[in-house]
Amino acid sequence: MHKECANAGTDMQPSSTPSQIHVALVEDDVHFQNAIVTAIAASPDIRLMSLASTRAQGLQSLHSAPADVLLVDLGLPDGSGIDVIRAAHEQWPTCAVMVCTAFGDEAHVLQSIEAGASGYLLKDSEPENMLHEIRSLHSGGSPISPLIARQILMRFRAAPSAAAPAAPPSVNPAPTGGEQAALSSREKEVLELITKGFTADEIARLMQVSQHTVQTYVRRIYSKLNVNSRAEAIYEARHQGILAA
Amino acid sequence: MKPGTRASWRPEVRKGMLRWLLLCAWLLACGPAAWAEGPVVHYTRAEMLREEAPAFKPLAATVDDAALPGSWKPVELPRVIETPAASGAGKRPVVTTWLRIRLDELQGTKGGTHFYLLRWLAAGQIAVYADGQLRYRSTGSPVWNLFNHPALLLPLNLTADSPPPRTLLIRLDSLPSPEAGISSFYAGDSDSLVEMAAKRDWLAYQLPFMCSAAFLAVGLFSLAVWVVRRQPASLYLFAIALLNATRRWHFQLGPEKLIVSDAWFIWLTLNALMWQSLITHYFMQFLHGRAMPRLSRVMLGTAIVFSIITLPFASVFPSLLALRPYAHLLLIGMATVIMVVGLWHSWHSRSLDAKMLSTVFAINYAFGVYDWARLKYVVDLESYYLTPYAAMMMFGVFVIIMFRQYVGALATVEQLNSGLEASLKNRESELAASYERLREAEQRQVLSQERQRLTQDMHDGLGSSLVSALRVVEGGRLGEAEVAEVLKGCIDDLKLTIDSMEPVEADLLLLLATLRFRLGPRLAGAGISLRWEVSDVPPLDWLNPRNALHILRILQEAFTNTLKHTRATQIRVMTGAEDGYVSVTIADNGGGFDIDQAMAHGGKGLGNQQRRAQAIGAQIMLHSSAAGTVLTLRLPEKRP
Repeated sequence: MHKECANAGTDMQPSSTPSQIHVALVEDDVHFQNAIVTAIAASPDIRLMSLASTRAQGLQSLHSAPADVLLVDLGLPDGSGIDVIRAAHEQWPTCAVMVCTAFGDEAHVLQSIEAGASGYLLKDSEPENMLHEIRSLHSGGSPISPLIARQILMRFRAAPSAAAPAAPPSVNPAPTGGEQAALSSREKEVLELITKGFTADEIARLMQVSQHTVQTYVRRIYSKLNVNSRAEAIYEARHQGILAA
Repeated sequence: MKPGTRASWRPEVRKGMLRWLLLCAWLLACGPAAWAEGPVVHYTRAEMLREEAPAFKPLAATVDDAALPGSWKPVELPRVIETPAASGAGKRPVVTTWLRIRLDELQGTKGGTHFYLLRWLAAGQIAVYADGQLRYRSTGSPVWNLFNHPALLLPLNLTADSPPPRTLLIRLDSLPSPEAGISSFYAGDSDSLVEMAAKRDWLAYQLPFMCSAAFLAVGLFSLAVWVVRRQPASLYLFAIALLNATRRWHFQLGPEKLIVSDAWFIWLTLNALMWQSLITHYFMQFLHGRAMPRLSRVMLGTAIVFSIITLPFASVFPSLLALRPYAHLLLIGMATVIMVVGLWHSWHSRSLDAKMLSTVFAINYAFGVYDWARLKYVVDLESYYLTPYAAMMMFGVFVIIMFRQYVGALATVEQLNSGLEASLKNRESELAASYERLREAEQRQVLSQERQRLTQDMHDGLGSSLVSALRVVEGGRLGEAEVAEVLKGCIDDLKLTIDSMEPVEADLLLLLATLRFRLGPRLAGAGISLRWEVSDVPPLDWLNPRNALHILRILQEAFTNTLKHTRATQIRVMTGAEDGYVSVTIADNGGGFDIDQAMAHGGKGLGNQQRRAQAIGAQIMLHSSAAGTVLTLRLPEKRP
């Protein structure tokens, strides 16, 4: 099946790693829980490791062995899933976090990406699509919508390096290793093509790179967003005297 | 001991030095006094001889006092020379008064001796003879000898080792009117007398002159202020200062020739006093704020009349001199009224300035009366003129008034400034409040528009879809899969609605991209491939959320129609721009459908498309054939 959405990485070959993808789920919606659990149970390459339905349980589950993919809902009964994402990013650095959202609207998604998420899962997706997304995320792909691309472009245009000088060395640097989290021209090009409606494979053709490269671009952009957000928070705290310099 | 060595700072050395310094200072202080001590004789008696003649005799270089006609008689000094009685011919004779003094007390003194006459007053001339030889004669016109500076100081012995003269003879020529007078005099040690004369001259002449000049300078300053600010007080000040300087002129004359004729000089000084009084009256009125228009007009008239009748005429020149005392009387009358009225109103007003001015005017008045009396020899003619000091007081008061007005103006400015600041702050907060109200109103309007938009959209799309799904489910005619399909459509609707809220900022491609992102999976699920052949288009500035949703719905409908009514396997999406329009074309390769029939069968979707296109000023061109269906949406680049 040829998917036409802009999810960079949707056309990735299923992970060829022999080991299973370990998934942890933090979700209070029982129906969605069931849908996921059922879908995972039917796929041999994915295994559900833990299941939590509150923020507290979610944070608790982070103390066990790290999962490969963490699915988090934002609207939890006892707090925001953002906290879980943030904690997972710290405690499970190798884990790819995915936020579950009904609409994939950029307000929720961007917030999650800034907290450390690498992708999102639309709750109304077909079960096989969801599994596909999980596999894709695990192999380095990240979904992105045109509106989110647009938002990211605007953010980096507004303050390309405002927080960069304050970025302390202790902060986990972006995968690129650059402390100045500005977009490269290629990354910008990818985002611009996404806002024009092109899909990952179309972009790969237009830019004459592999699909995998396009996926890594998106993942890297998300990482930069996360780094910038944290640097900004620290800068802000320092600026207001909350944090000692 | 050399200065600068450490020894010079030993206490005993310092004490010695101090003693020396004190001694030097004492010597310096006492020195002049010690040197000034020499014999000075105050002469208050003399012998007098009086001659009356129709005209003055010419001045002789030598005079033998014994040969003078008439008899010598002893008199006391100071002495007023009586005016001669009118003779039968009508014209009164002129008087020549001779005074003879023996300087016996000075005989035998060594060094220089001086003669110092405190004052002489005469419409005429004076000459001094020493041992019969002419030693001094006055110059200038007879008139100003009435006023010029009073003293006569001249050396008695021509060289230091020559003896002083034995006899002094003074000749005083005077016109019949006004009365002439001569003061007592001193003779003796030159240094003492020169110092005495200098002191008196400084007090009686230099000091008032300086003040008069300073007053004039202040007056000029006020004039400059008036030119710029047009404040009446400044003009009053200038006029009074100028008139005062004119008035004081005759107190400051030297032996030089006048620049105007004697007659005009008298007229000028007299009128200066008159107008000075009048303007002071106006100034006081201004200060105490109690207007007296009628009285002021009468005074103004009087002053004008006074100026006209005192105008000089050559033919009546001597009699005009005779009129001087009466002119003074008229002046005094006017000044009396001004003083009384001024005092009364000033002390009944709250103006400190007016009180000060009226008081100093009263002092001026009193001093003026005193000086006038002295001119009439009612009081001792050796005493000082007082009006110069009154003028000094006046000057002082004016300076105080100016100072107070200036400081007051500064305070007013400060008050104004703080008032301005306060009102500015008020204005600012008012502005902020009204802005806040405006913003709230705007927000309410935006919210209400948004609500309308969403309501309309829900009604057309999501709402009706749900309702029809409900009917279908109730009728039990649909399977689960079909219900799921309807719900998926609803969710897609909802997603597009949410997307439309995000400002796309005139970017039509972004809008299309969003549509593809949302609908792509469904098309893909139905086995339809998308050929995305978009190119950059000009920005559409009118693309707000409301209009964006219209476009989304129109295109969504097109995709849905292709999905539902054709067997297409491919959809092409193209964009273009020409003639001020931006076009979006959606073409499928399905079998096409009969548009008219679709419309006739209650094609609600097509109707909605048209309605929405109309709402945004766009056109929809729909063409369906066996090859497929082509929908072109033409959007205007600019909208009014």
